[in-house]
Amino acid sequence: MTDAHTDANGTMSSSRLSQFEAEVAKLKVTGGGANPERLGSQWGIGLTILGFVIAIIAWWSALDAKGDNAAVSALRAEIFGFIGIGVAIVGIVIWARNSITRYLRYWIIRLVYEQREQTEQLVQALRDSK
Amino acid sequence: MTSMQAVPTPDATDDEVPILQLAAVRAGYGRIDVLHGIDLELRAGEVFALLGPNGAGKSTTLAVCSGQITPSTGGMFLCGRDVTGVAPDALARAGVCLIPEGRGIFPNLNVLENLRMATFTGHSFSQVLDLAFAQFPRLGERRKQTAGTLSGGEQQMLSMARALATEPAVLLIDELSMGLAPIIVEELYEHVRRIAASGLSILIVEQFAHEILGLADRAGIMLHGRLLHTGPPASIADELADAYLGAEHETPAAHPSQ
Repeated sequence: MTDAHTDANGTMSSSRLSQFEAEVAKLKVTGGGANPERLGSQWGIGLTILGFVIAIIAWWSALDAKGDNAAVSALRAEIFGFIGIGVAIVGIVIWARNSITRYLRYWIIRLVYEQREQTEQLVQALRDSK
Repeated sequence: MTSMQAVPTPDATDDEVPILQLAAVRAGYGRIDVLHGIDLELRAGEVFALLGPNGAGKSTTLAVCSGQITPSTGGMFLCGRDVTGVAPDALARAGVCLIPEGRGIFPNLNVLENLRMATFTGHSFSQVLDLAFAQFPRLGERRKQTAGTLSGGEQQMLSMARALATEPAVLLIDELSMGLAPIIVEELYEHVRRIAASGLSILIVEQFAHEILGLADRAGIMLHGRLLHTGPPASIADELADAYLGAEHETPAAHPSQ
């Protein structure tokens, strides 16, 4: 509450209120994405499974390719196979990114709590020793 | 998950749009609901005291207001805009600041390093220090001291200084008095009184009502996840003993009009 944000009557200035309203208007409403990492991990796993399913189907299609157009069918199946593997890789990357973020988030919270606990114990020990 | 349907809208008939509003909010931890339909309004420049015994859902209400818990149903509004589900860091950047229960400082960092954390809103470090030390000169004397070795009152001051240095528009304070001697609590509330006089909108949660009722414009009593009574502090004082001693109220005031 600098003077710029506090008027002569000591009340929060309308400029701060307007600024707040502007900030609120800019907020991106996610509609309840309370746990984006978990959602990201689930999407990643889903994409990975989907990718492998596409690749396996393409592989079976390639094996089944018969007749005059066997080479063309096999090539088409091969392309689908690569697309499937690509989707699976994207899924793995999304899953890894979100899982690591989630893990690190919990890790840092745990670290903060442990350090807080240790410092409190240390301070208590120092006070007791006096 | 936030209910995307039937989110109640703020009262359009009221001339003054509340700076913060909870409308029929149900929220909790996992599948367990702690809040069972909270309706709460904080007007611009107002100090609202949320009182109630341990386990009433006061801290959960603040967690909803700061975006840490997303309501399972109902909505949260800032200046009339639905912000249900907005991330807590986005709300903090916008100007909704929480001083958590248990101070929430980094005990192994020194005072300066703790205050550096307040630069996330875009204020320069020197600006943060000026604001913090102007409010709490004692912190200036202890700027190099490890925060964990400060007294309980000083740690709370550091927590308040860090919050105020971000120049919030809405300040949420959770159990300021927790674990502190009455004389320290009195001193801290003197600071809150000064902050309140500057016109900041404050939602303050307390278990012990004595100090807070003196400075609040309005107050509410929470019990079992419901806001039982809201009104001027004088009218609330009579209801407090019953709430704390466990008397059940089955009155029309159980869902008061704000």
